[in-house]
Amino acid sequence: MRLKANIKMAFASIRSARWRSFLTMLGIIVGVASVVVTISLGEGVRQQVEGQIKQLGSDLIIVKPGKNVGASSSLGALTANNAQSFTDQDLQAIKTTKGIKTVVPFSTVSGVARTDDSELPDGFIVGTTELLPEILRQRVKYGSFFAADDTNRKIAVIGKRVAQDLFHETVPLGKSLQVRGERYVVSGVFDQFATSPLSPTSDYNSAVFIPYESARTLVGQSQIYQVLVRPIDPEQTSQVAKNITANLSDAHGKQTDFTVLKQEENLAATNKILTLLTSMIAGIAAISLLVGGIGIMNIMLVSVTERTKEIGVRKAVGATNRQILDQFVTEAAVISLLGGVLGLLLSLFVDYLFRLFTDIKPAVTVPIMGIAVLVALVVGMFFGILPAIKAASRDPIEALRYE
Amino acid sequence: MPIINLQDVSKLYGFGDATTVALEEVNLSIERGEFVAVMGPSGSGKSTLMNIIGLLDRPTHGSYVLNGRSVSRLRSNQRAKVRRDTVGFVFQSFNLLPKLTVLENVALPLAYKGMTQTRRLKQAAAVLERVGLSDREYFYPKQLSGGQAQRAAIARALVNNPQIIIADEPTGNLDSAASRLVMELLSDIHAMGGTILMVTHNPELTRFASRVVFMHDGDIVGDKQSTIGQVPKSLRKRMYYLPKLTEEDRIAGVSAMMKAFPDKEAKSSKRTTKARKAKKPSTRKAKK
Ligand SMILES: Nc1ncnc2c1ncn2[C@@H]1O[C@H](COP(=O)(O)OP(=O)(O)OP(=O)(O)O)[C@@H](O)[C@H]1O
Ligand SMILES: [Mg+2]
Repeated sequence: MRLKANIKMAFASIRSARWRSFLTMLGIIVGVASVVVTISLGEGVRQQVEGQIKQLGSDLIIVKPGKNVGASSSLGALTANNAQSFTDQDLQAIKTTKGIKTVVPFSTVSGVARTDDSELPDGFIVGTTELLPEILRQRVKYGSFFAADDTNRKIAVIGKRVAQDLFHETVPLGKSLQVRGERYVVSGVFDQFATSPLSPTSDYNSAVFIPYESARTLVGQSQIYQVLVRPIDPEQTSQVAKNITANLSDAHGKQTDFTVLKQEENLAATNKILTLLTSMIAGIAAISLLVGGIGIMNIMLVSVTERTKEIGVRKAVGATNRQILDQFVTEAAVISLLGGVLGLLLSLFVDYLFRLFTDIKPAVTVPIMGIAVLVALVVGMFFGILPAIKAASRDPIEALRYE
Repeated sequence: MPIINLQDVSKLYGFGDATTVALEEVNLSIERGEFVAVMGPSGSGKSTLMNIIGLLDRPTHGSYVLNGRSVSRLRSNQRAKVRRDTVGFVFQSFNLLPKLTVLENVALPLAYKGMTQTRRLKQAAAVLERVGLSDREYFYPKQLSGGQAQRAAIARALVNNPQIIIADEPTGNLDSAASRLVMELLSDIHAMGGTILMVTHNPELTRFASRVVFMHDGDIVGDKQSTIGQVPKSLRKRMYYLPKLTEEDRIAGVSAMMKAFPDKEAKSSKRTTKARKAKKPSTRKAKK
């Protein structure tokens, strides 16, 4: 009951000094918005990565050359020794591991794919086998992927963006592109690959896939940067991963200069990195929330001084110290709560801009929204207490005399 | 049993050499239903006494029994509650909150009692009607004349049905017509059994009181029963010796007391200068 009256009083006092109240809120608005945007970006990326990993299946095993290759290709690229690659002997060692159903090598073909009038500097060329669509669970939208006996043919299956950037059309079937001076005829175009920042796999929308053997002919020797493996029994994924490790290290003279990643590990590692990044940035953003709280305290202190007479009158008509305290704490809390709500709206708007202009799909969950508003409320109450104590402890007579 | 009983109540300000004695061992006993006018020169401790009786302030020494309950040692929250339930204040400068409407101002004491808003406003509206301001409920204080503002302030003091109304120079900022309205309101309350303490510098106004208390330098120096409708004889005599009190002075509320007593201040040498720094009464009071 008293709370309701205090809230009404707080709104009246906020209304009577609109601009000042808004400027006081600004700190909280910016603080809440930046924290929520950061967290929703992190959460959005996490969901995208998780979705992608789920699509690939949790039984997928990724084998990469180099030690301690990171979970994700983009971050992993920083730590992995890129000079290393698997040879065909290594591929053979993986293929002969027990319990394996599908093995798909990815070999690098350095160079730029081009047509007569354009080229694709940010694309990449991969030599691979006919099982790639199956292991990536990706549909070829137009045309078809190469078959097992196409392995020496000069045909290419391309990602959606290659079609657009190189051929400026969606279905460039039958057209040809050049790789290292050789002509390849486009025989298929992939459906859109799900992508995400920090994705464990590369963005295959920019990839040109050519048959494995023809790639080797082109380069001279296979440079396998990644092998994807799927076991016969998904339950046995861990065991198979261990077997692969054993086989490969035998082939490498007991050296473990490679990495075998299961999808769960991938997921866990990505989550770890994301959580770290998100909480670091959110932590920095939270400082602005703190600054906002100090702003509230500052203005409330000024307000308490300005309203000394009012405090005196209220006490003279019977307000207890506690009631004065409650009034001012409520006012601070209402200001920062409003700031929190406005900050939340601002963050939703910023998230919308991210969706419009980037690949990132920020995700604001209800708990995040709730916590943000709650934190704003707590900040306001915390920083409102000191001014409120000052107000409550004013001597009524001196306060009444104040002009 | 008296409603107010002060025994040896002193109020000191400051320490050591700078000590000011605002009240010096005052004894005062007021019965229910009395209308006490408190008079005395500026700085004589009238407001200090009112603040202590109204529980806005606490005495440095002495005992205060209000309604049979000793209240001199109460902590501030308890004092606030007793104040809320028993005392209604009327100030010289009205002290209405500028951001609240007249109705909300009047209802304010009820809010601190935890009454619901509808009941609060209803009760406040009833009191406003009693002071003749029903048509000003939704005005803001700055839209009122001085007399209206003071009547609204009286309504606020009345809204809680207090046992005591304390009015510190309620007509000090008002012209004679507005003063008369306010005084009629107060004597109405008195007629209905209310206990009223009123500080005034205008001896004319003592005709509404049932008792007149004179203060000087923190002491009660005179205490007379007075017939309602008449200015006490002693005051009349003083007024008689003050032919210079013009009609203009009277309207401005200039006190005959103040014109009568100023020389007394020179006698009290044991008091600090602070007590006597009281500005020249005539310049302070003559606002016009
Ligand atoms: N907070 C204070 N600190 C120091 N001295 C004070 C304080 N309040 C009042 N006094 C002193 O106490 C004495 C009595 O003051 P008080 O306000 O009661 O006088 P008063 O009779 O109401 O005068 P006036 O007619 O001018 O209103 C004065 O000498 C004043 O200076
Ligand atoms: Mg006074």
